[in-house]
Amino acid sequence: MNTPISIKHSYAGRHVLLTGVTGFLGKVWLAMVLQYVPDVGKIYVLTRKKALRPAADRFERQVQTSPCFRPLHEKYGADMSRFISERIEVVSGDVSQPDMGVEDPAVLARLRRDIDLVINCAGLVDFDPDLREAMTTNVEGARNAANFVAACDKAVLLHISTCYVTGKKNGLIPEVIRPDLSPDGQPFDVEVECAEVQVSIDAILAEHESPEMDKRAHDDAVKQIRDKGGDENNAMLVRNTARRIKRNLLKDAMVAEGQRRAGRWGFTNIYTYTKNMAEAWIARRLDPGRWSMFRPAIVESSMSYPFPGWNQGFNTCGPLSYALGSWFRHLPCKQGNPFDIIPVDYVCRGMTVAGAALMRGEHAPVYQCGSSDLNLLTIDRAVELVALAHRKHLRTRGDTTLDRVVKSRWDAIAVTPDHPMRIENIRKMTESVDEWLRDPPKGWPEFLRRRLGDLVEHTEDALESIDKIERMCELYLPFIHDNYFAFVTRNLLRHPVVEPEWDCDPRSIDWRHYWIDVHIPGLRKWCFPLFENKTPESYAPRHPFRLRSPEAAPAPHAEVV
Amino acid sequence: MTQTNTAAFVRVEGILLARGVLSAAAYLAANAKKFGERAVRLGLVGLAAPVHRLLGQTDRALAHRLAHLAIRGMSQDRVEVLCEEYAEDVLKDTILDQGLELLKRLQAEGRRVVLLSDSIEPIMKPLARHLKHYDELVYNKIEFEDGEATGKLLDPVIGSNVGGRWLDDYAAAHDFELSRCAAYGAHGPDMLLLSRVGKPCAVNPDFVLRRSAKDADWPIIDYRD
Repeated sequence: MNTPISIKHSYAGRHVLLTGVTGFLGKVWLAMVLQYVPDVGKIYVLTRKKALRPAADRFERQVQTSPCFRPLHEKYGADMSRFISERIEVVSGDVSQPDMGVEDPAVLARLRRDIDLVINCAGLVDFDPDLREAMTTNVEGARNAANFVAACDKAVLLHISTCYVTGKKNGLIPEVIRPDLSPDGQPFDVEVECAEVQVSIDAILAEHESPEMDKRAHDDAVKQIRDKGGDENNAMLVRNTARRIKRNLLKDAMVAEGQRRAGRWGFTNIYTYTKNMAEAWIARRLDPGRWSMFRPAIVESSMSYPFPGWNQGFNTCGPLSYALGSWFRHLPCKQGNPFDIIPVDYVCRGMTVAGAALMRGEHAPVYQCGSSDLNLLTIDRAVELVALAHRKHLRTRGDTTLDRVVKSRWDAIAVTPDHPMRIENIRKMTESVDEWLRDPPKGWPEFLRRRLGDLVEHTEDALESIDKIERMCELYLPFIHDNYFAFVTRNLLRHPVVEPEWDCDPRSIDWRHYWIDVHIPGLRKWCFPLFENKTPESYAPRHPFRLRSPEAAPAPHAEVV
Repeated sequence: MTQTNTAAFVRVEGILLARGVLSAAAYLAANAKKFGERAVRLGLVGLAAPVHRLLGQTDRALAHRLAHLAIRGMSQDRVEVLCEEYAEDVLKDTILDQGLELLKRLQAEGRRVVLLSDSIEPIMKPLARHLKHYDELVYNKIEFEDGEATGKLLDPVIGSNVGGRWLDDYAAAHDFELSRCAAYGAHGPDMLLLSRVGKPCAVNPDFVLRRSAKDADWPIIDYRD
């Protein structure tokens, strides 16, 4: 056990560079530190400019509209602009570029001189994205962050990774890093792997630029236009459709290649594969005294900060919980397997503690932040809690009588993948009904046949939903059925914290309260509307936020303790 | 007039609430996880009902144990959520105003009002928010093992033995003289409790208790149809 860390003292006057501030984690961390450590030095937020929109504008909009900053707006009111501007400097850059994409040499030199801690939250969190994008953001981004830290006078790097970089493993997974080994135990060289990935990407690109591919895309486009009753002689329409088809084919090929490579080494998906390579690059580039890997498990709605239930749109649990609130009731999973959820504010507290330990030189190489080790939540319990939460909502606030009476009492359950009511069987059944509706018995009266034909649009909708659910189940199966992941999370607890607001011990989580009163209501407010193509509630502070120029807002001169 | 070191023991079911343990067990059973499971559990409650009817006149502890077997194997999450739902949506509306008036009067007399309930903790805790004029609420506790209900009620089962050792221990712990205490019962098994105190009273009594109350010349209060 180390000596207790005072977060206030550890961060007072320290300068931090934060990447990924527009993401879920980065935003909550920033708001939390500004709220509880107002004496922090300068926080440099690295933000990309987008099209004609400067980085500062993008950041300003985040602070102005994200409910995550609500407690700060409420605390500082009209003084919010001054308070934030004094503590934050927006740096226009891009983590996927060398020198973090900071183009101004003076700014770069200042950052290299002043920064104490770099927190790299930037990352692509889709499970199976285009391999090129995953490599650029997750691998190149981490590599650039490591190079940047190496060029700094005193900076250390807290890299935000994921517990699942350990790949397909079963049992208790220790807090260690083995950059030279793949999850299935094969020798793994990140440099060689990156080079091979690049070769694969180039080969796929070359193949997609071939005349055969052009012809295939053209033929598919013509067929698609014809099927939709469009004008197949419209050259522009054919060209645009062919371009879109080609783009999709290319993306599919990139995803397939990424999945193949990830599976070959024993990773669950492209996300964990590229995040593992990111860790390997950092461990190779920097001295052990200058980095720590911070690995959260599945980051979900906040328990208390900025307010109970806050989450930023799509996340891991969202689609699953949403589907279990629809007519889909039988989730394939392995009963007893951990479902390692951790609220975002616990993760941010853990990051802050790990960052403090890193700046003090008392850090561990890896900090895993999850709940499966100390406060186990099994997948079957999670499913039951989702069902109970939906029940509670539907009974009193269901939109229709069907919702209030039937749906609320029809609970989602955890089943084995070979259950008779599995989604595959439901699809087959729906397909049969769809087929029958399209061609009812010939002898039936015409009006009845027409009525039945009208029902086809419902079966088509159902098949579309079933398709989405099938894909979702496939994506989640490695985590809820195929593997038993239990992550050891003891390193964080080796740093006792003086201030109670930074306590990140997952044993304090009451899962029932969290799922029923916090998480699912939070998802219902911030995430589910997105599935229904609705816009979640936005936030408008009473006093508009404007970032002032650095000259108007000098850095706070807090004493370094 | 204020009396010190005196208590009034009041049975909840029948005096304060119109519903009993079987209704709660049936609610839990009817809202089990799966449809098949619901049918089986409701069947168990159905089997327990006549036993409860027969034994409930003499030994409520055994009857309660049988009724609660229907929730064996249900998760603690489900039991506690459903119990809270039952307390809020069903039981709260069955609180008898005359019962609350009785409690108010007892408290005004300076007695420590102790409510004795056959129901289990997850039901009574949320319901307690809607009860008033009492000092202590004693209820049954159900056993949970590894997050699942075993269906077993933990001893002492509040039902028949409150007139025995439990009452002696309670009186000793709070320095009560039982001869100066009052008790309000509604069912046959409450006779043991009523016979131990100085001021017994039968409230809305069932057949067995009414007959005994008449024999023993205990006052009888009726306010339920």
